[in-house]
Amino acid sequence: MTEGAGQTPAGTAGTGTVDLTLDAKVAAADVPPELLAQSLGQYIRAWWARVRGGNSGVLPVVLAIVVVAVSFQVANSKFLSAQNLVNLFEQSTVYMVLAMAEIFALLLGEIDLSVGLVMGLGSVVVAELVQPGRANWPWWAAIIVTLLLCAAWGAIQGALVAYLKMPSFIVTLGGLLILEGVGIIVLGGSLVGIGNSRFNNEVVLYDIFYGRFDPLVGWILLAVLVGAAATGLWLQDARKRRHGLETPPRSLTAMKIILIAAAGIALVAICNVNRAHFGTIEGVPYIVPIVLVVLAASTVLLQRTRFGRYVYAIGGNPEAARRAGVSLPVVRTWGFVLASLTSGIAGVLFASWQVSLTTNIIKAANSYVLLAVAAAVIGGTSLFGGRGKTIHGILGGLVIGGIYNGLYLLGVSSQWIDVVVAAVLLAAAIIDVLSRRGAPRQA
Amino acid sequence: MTADPGETPAGPADARPVDLTLDAKVAAADVPPALVAQSFGQYLRAWLLQVRSGNSGVLPVVLAMVVVAVVFQIITPEHAFLRPSNLVYIFGLSTVYMVLAIAETVVLLLAELDLSVGAVALFGGVVAFKLVQQPGPDWPWWAAVLAALACCGVVGALQGTLVARLRIPAFVVTLGGFLLFSGIIIIVLGGADAFVNVSASVPNQRFIYYMVQGVIAPVASWVALAVVVGVAGAALWLRAAARRRQGLTVPPASLTAIRIALVALVGVAVVLICTVNRGSSLVKVEGVPWVIPIVLVVLGAWTVALQRTRFGRYIYAIGGNPEAARRAGVSLVAIRTWSFALCSATAGLGGILLGSFFYGEYSTNTADPGQLVLYAVAAAVIGGVSLFGGRGKAIHGVLGGLLIGGIAYGVSLLSLGTLATPLEYILPGGVLLAAVGVDVLSRRGTGGARV
Repeated sequence: MTEGAGQTPAGTAGTGTVDLTLDAKVAAADVPPELLAQSLGQYIRAWWARVRGGNSGVLPVVLAIVVVAVSFQVANSKFLSAQNLVNLFEQSTVYMVLAMAEIFALLLGEIDLSVGLVMGLGSVVVAELVQPGRANWPWWAAIIVTLLLCAAWGAIQGALVAYLKMPSFIVTLGGLLILEGVGIIVLGGSLVGIGNSRFNNEVVLYDIFYGRFDPLVGWILLAVLVGAAATGLWLQDARKRRHGLETPPRSLTAMKIILIAAAGIALVAICNVNRAHFGTIEGVPYIVPIVLVVLAASTVLLQRTRFGRYVYAIGGNPEAARRAGVSLPVVRTWGFVLASLTSGIAGVLFASWQVSLTTNIIKAANSYVLLAVAAAVIGGTSLFGGRGKTIHGILGGLVIGGIYNGLYLLGVSSQWIDVVVAAVLLAAAIIDVLSRRGAPRQA
Repeated sequence: MTADPGETPAGPADARPVDLTLDAKVAAADVPPALVAQSFGQYLRAWLLQVRSGNSGVLPVVLAMVVVAVVFQIITPEHAFLRPSNLVYIFGLSTVYMVLAIAETVVLLLAELDLSVGAVALFGGVVAFKLVQQPGPDWPWWAAVLAALACCGVVGALQGTLVARLRIPAFVVTLGGFLLFSGIIIIVLGGADAFVNVSASVPNQRFIYYMVQGVIAPVASWVALAVVVGVAGAALWLRAAARRRQGLTVPPASLTAIRIALVALVGVAVVLICTVNRGSSLVKVEGVPWVIPIVLVVLGAWTVALQRTRFGRYIYAIGGNPEAARRAGVSLVAIRTWSFALCSATAGLGGILLGSFFYGEYSTNTADPGQLVLYAVAAAVIGGVSLFGGRGKAIHGVLGGLLIGGIAYGVSLLSLGTLATPLEYILPGGVLLAAVGVDVLSRRGTGGARV
């Protein structure tokens, strides 16, 4: 499949000169290597030049995941067991989704401190709305209304930031304080749960986190997904090539498809191992596709739409974006709407995960903000705007979830877990800063 | 005292042209009105101009305090809010917010941010309390306090080094510090269920216990007030006189007199309130709590450090424009590192005071470090410190902290049942948004808005 890696249909030039300009081009502007490289070898060299230039992308966080995995596996052989890996992913989902929410704000060069409590409010609202004897709404209506509410809150915060030009740090700090109170009011001072198996609406909400596909269904879904993704990628390339546009080498596309398939097979295989001590618990949890859908939707929105380009433009240089005709207030407001909407999704997951919600859980939702920011930064998103992708949130969330899970397996108490997460965060920031020393842009 | 507000010893000029330059001067550069005004009337006009152009200083927070006091006095049952016992309690409750807000102000002035002040404060408190335990280290109380402040200072210096030398965003560094010390507090404390306390019955621990709980006897309070007002008055007056002799710009004499009178008035009011018996007829509790002079000393020290020393001027310079400061020869790295170190040390003192406020006991439930830091930032900003650096004073932190403490306590007096807890969050949040909203809108006129 990867034969003829060195050959390309487009005209080639003398290697020496091409490579020099390639290096310079890649290092100077943030051009993705696949746009310039015309063979797999060139691609790898271009990628390496970029990493050396400080645009290491997901590399550090992937290395971090490997380090976390290896060290915990050495310390406790259960860490990489199928049972624990599924656990770990489940525990990480809330961090992942919240980190993706935070990334919408970070990309704009803003910060949203309220994501944790928007999640807290969302979880309370969705649970309250399906309570039989009170609102007793169908589960889908409860979820939709919850997400709309969260989005509306985001719109208010976004409008204050974008139109009144109040600092986002303060707006969302005030917002989180208000939400903390509102959440407790909505909760009504009592406990609300969704764990009653007699009511279908509660069961559906419960299953969002704890439900799973039948193993066979898992394989079929994987086959469909990989097939669709592969065809999509390949056809897109083919079309570009027909139109004479810059195209990544075929071998690279093939490798990408193989990687997706391999990751998918590994994931389904792991999830399909029976993880119960007694009886059977097997299959892909529903939250895996849920997280993937959030990831895919946000990735498409940010990487392939005009709105996404505007977000990066504003994060990179607001004044330049404004002069290019981008409406800063509109895009900024929508950024905050999306952050709160995604936090609302995290809220639904959170309600399902916690099963019953109390005042203390609402208060604790506050601490998720800092972990969400930490996950985004560990994942490789810049705090200064304009750099990052939502996949960084997934990977950073996985690192944090992995540390929590691994230390918990080792019987380490929670205070040490905070210490380790802090150390990882600082290490991520230091590596990021040091690796950017080589980059041309440095204040 | 204020019989002669219109006259100044310095040569008066034609009223109109002077006033025009005055307007322009005040509006353009942030010149304190005291420096340009040559009479009390001019001072008032210059001050109004400053307020109108967005440099409202402590005015909004003072107004907010008045509103809060009046509203709560009206709506609390039996109009209890302004009772002396409650006022003294509010001061104790607000102490930690005031001190942490002062600490946060120092870093905010640099246009940086310290998210770790809450965790570092608790760390300092736990360290100090641990060091005076007997059996245990049994250090003298002053050594324990100094050691705790030094520990916090080192923590701050490390964070400051990462920020200043490596230029890692302060937000990330101190977020890491926050997480780190949230864990370390519990480790130092000895586990999630552990607690450590100081008692009034142990001579060495008594000093720490009394920091917030102890009182100065009424007579001593009056004497101390007289001394403080006398010294402050003499200093203010003599300094103005010295400047006048040298031919420097001097605030009008009437202004100095009014200032001295105000200081005396506030002092008398505080001592009067504090010397009312707050206990019962059997167990008398009266006199100024130690915590008031302690907070005043912290405030005084930071005010002098920020307004009167080279270090302070460099902080404002960096906060205003780091590149300009660097080209003027200011060592950004040194000033930034020192600021973070001193911020953390001040926070450590706040932590010790917090333990003293909770009757000398420290447990993992004493305070949530995340909430402490949010309140500290909120207090500083509500008080009038700019988040963008270069604007703010230590007094802003004190006033903002007092406002937040007052709101929190006022709500708890209202016997709202289940609504009480939520309002403790909603009101500070609302006040914060309102404060910044007013600030942003009032600065519309200054032209310094961001893109």
